[in-house]
Amino acid sequence: MRSKRIAVAVLLSALSGSGQVLADNPLHHNGVGRIYDPYVQATEKELEFRSLYQWDDSAVEDGVMYQRLGYGFSVNDRVFAEAYAIASRFPDKSLAIEAYELEAKVQLTEQGEYNADWGLLVEYERELSESIAEIAATLISTRQWGDWVGTVNVGLEYEFGSDITDEIDRYLNAQWRYRYSPALEPGVEFYADEYTRGIGPVVAGTVRGQGRRKWTWEAGLIAPLNDTTPDSTFRFLLEYEF
Amino acid sequence: MKEILTPCPHLHRRWRSVLLFLLWSIAPWSHAQTPVFEIEIREHLFFPAELVIPANQKVKLIIYNRDDTPEEFESYELNREKVIVGNSQGVVFIGPLKPGEYPFFGEFNMKTALGKIIAE
Repeated sequence: MRSKRIAVAVLLSALSGSGQVLADNPLHHNGVGRIYDPYVQATEKELEFRSLYQWDDSAVEDGVMYQRLGYGFSVNDRVFAEAYAIASRFPDKSLAIEAYELEAKVQLTEQGEYNADWGLLVEYERELSESIAEIAATLISTRQWGDWVGTVNVGLEYEFGSDITDEIDRYLNAQWRYRYSPALEPGVEFYADEYTRGIGPVVAGTVRGQGRRKWTWEAGLIAPLNDTTPDSTFRFLLEYEF
Repeated sequence: MKEILTPCPHLHRRWRSVLLFLLWSIAPWSHAQTPVFEIEIREHLFFPAELVIPANQKVKLIIYNRDDTPEEFESYELNREKVIVGNSQGVVFIGPLKPGEYPFFGEFNMKTALGKIIAE
């Protein structure tokens, strides 16, 4: 019981402390994404589709949409690699592929071995039409309390290239989810980076097919906690595991 | 959507909290005396199919897959999922569990590979 109180207190402290930061919001920035878990399964392959749509009272930010399609596979029982094509649509531009991303997730501890489970995510993203790239490292931690599961992603990203001012950003994303049934797990998500502060409900679930085929879905609606986050962000994820 | 904010004055306190959380979560006492149990997979069946473990205590489960094909130990009730490739072994930590029965299955052979953990 005491350990649970410590965990909640530390988590809340980390979350609340990330409330204030820096400067103007860059155009079309939205820190909402997905919350990663730290687990890797051997021999796993997957196709992933993600979509993000935002509403805002600013005409240049309203209706912005991001989509990504990825293919991933486990290298072994500890490492999972995935590649994405990333498309975006802005008010003055139609949907087009703008970037690609490579990522590798490493499971650091066995599930349930310690008080929390740990993983590490390393990402590289490159814009196609501009000299802008970023590398990021995210520490992933998950802890279960009965039917509740809390996950925190804390990371640093370094943006560089001749079309951008080099800078290092930090971010903290968290999810608190209730394991109601395999097909329906409601929860709450929180996103924070240099400009984004958002919180909102999410629902997730897994539908099983034949053999090892599985469909995993997530949908969330994130509301802003500051003026530099879009008025509303809808995110959707669909994964096909095989 | 524009706002100018001041730099965070509590940076060091925040990272100290994160560091404390890291240390707490990997504390070695968390599985210092974990009992070990074993399960085998043979011809797409679990042996034993029913495993009794102590309630309210974390246990380490070593799963030996004697088949040539991979199998996935999976249980929503235990919140565990672990693929074990053919002719190898995997480790799953479960619990502490309240007294009761917790079904598990082999995801790649769901009609035959069935079992349950009994915590008592």
